[in-house]
Amino acid sequence: MARSSVQDEVLEIVSTVIEKDKGDIPLDAHLIQDVGADSMMALEILAALEKKYRIAIPEEKLKEMATVNKIIQMVEAAKKRGK
Amino acid sequence: MSCQNMKNDRLLKDRVGIVSGGARGIGRAIVRELVAEGAKVAFTYVKSDSEAKKLLQEVADAGSEALSFKGDVRDYDTCRDFVEQVKAYFGGLDFLVSNAGITRDKAFMTMEKKDWKDVLDVNLTGCFNMARSCIVTFLKQKKGNIVNISSISGISGIARQVNYSASKAGIIGLTRALAQEVAPYNIRVNCVAPGFIETDMLSILKKELKDKFRRAVPLGRFGNPKDIAKAVLFLLSEQSNYITGQVIKVDGGLHTSN
Repeated sequence: MARSSVQDEVLEIVSTVIEKDKGDIPLDAHLIQDVGADSMMALEILAALEKKYRIAIPEEKLKEMATVNKIIQMVEAAKKRGK
Repeated sequence: MSCQNMKNDRLLKDRVGIVSGGARGIGRAIVRELVAEGAKVAFTYVKSDSEAKKLLQEVADAGSEALSFKGDVRDYDTCRDFVEQVKAYFGGLDFLVSNAGITRDKAFMTMEKKDWKDVLDVNLTGCFNMARSCIVTFLKQKKGNIVNISSISGISGIARQVNYSASKAGIIGLTRALAQEVAPYNIRVNCVAPGFIETDMLSILKKELKDKFRRAVPLGRFGNPKDIAKAVLFLLSEQSNYITGQVIKVDGGLHTSN
């Protein structure tokens, strides 16, 4: 259940930043190559995640934020580390 | 106006920033000016241990806060490490002043590859290293301010300074391009181009050459480091909120055209 909550929240953030409907963002689609995001949008997503979950995501992790699913994994790992 | 009101009116009250090459010359004047206007400043230096220590003491005696970091801007990892330390210590980062610079003046025909590389590495790559280390923080917070110290040497070129002129011209290009790229994120990037300023760099010139340069300045004097610091303060303050991608020449009228 926790997973689905994070999934909804991450999808909401991604959808807001890249200005696309949630339904048009498959969880395993590459955000830059397939969905039309760019590196600055990725940074905005990272900043929004940090703010929402009160976590710190290192800049190096930007490259790993390729899909919504990967972002979800990253957030969950960061939340675990924070506990 | 009471002293308390004056303190509250300071242009950079509680803003946190970095000055590279801050222990001597123009950098030290910039640190002093920004601290006097309420900023918390961290500065880098390479060799000037005693000057850095004195400056820290001076700032502390004035009841303000500064931080020094011995490190070379040529090294990207050093710059990143420094920026992270500043953020952790002061709890944020609002501005960067890239001032660190060196000269290796000589006739071009005797200029060695090392003279070229050293100057380009410190002056231009150092400017990149510092800006790159700060920019993600600025982008994330959608707020930031960068002032790079160029030189009139980078605008018009000066004989026996081919390496220095090239590096300072490069800083202008870096400034203009970066300003355009990050403006949508409320980050301003500008340049100050000092003319002939009374610093160690000028003191090594022969008297005849200094006199010749002085005569060429319409205002009839060399600038002092504080003249540059005042321009940097203006660009960092909200007084210049609509200025980005610009090169402000502070040269006593030496160059009046673009």
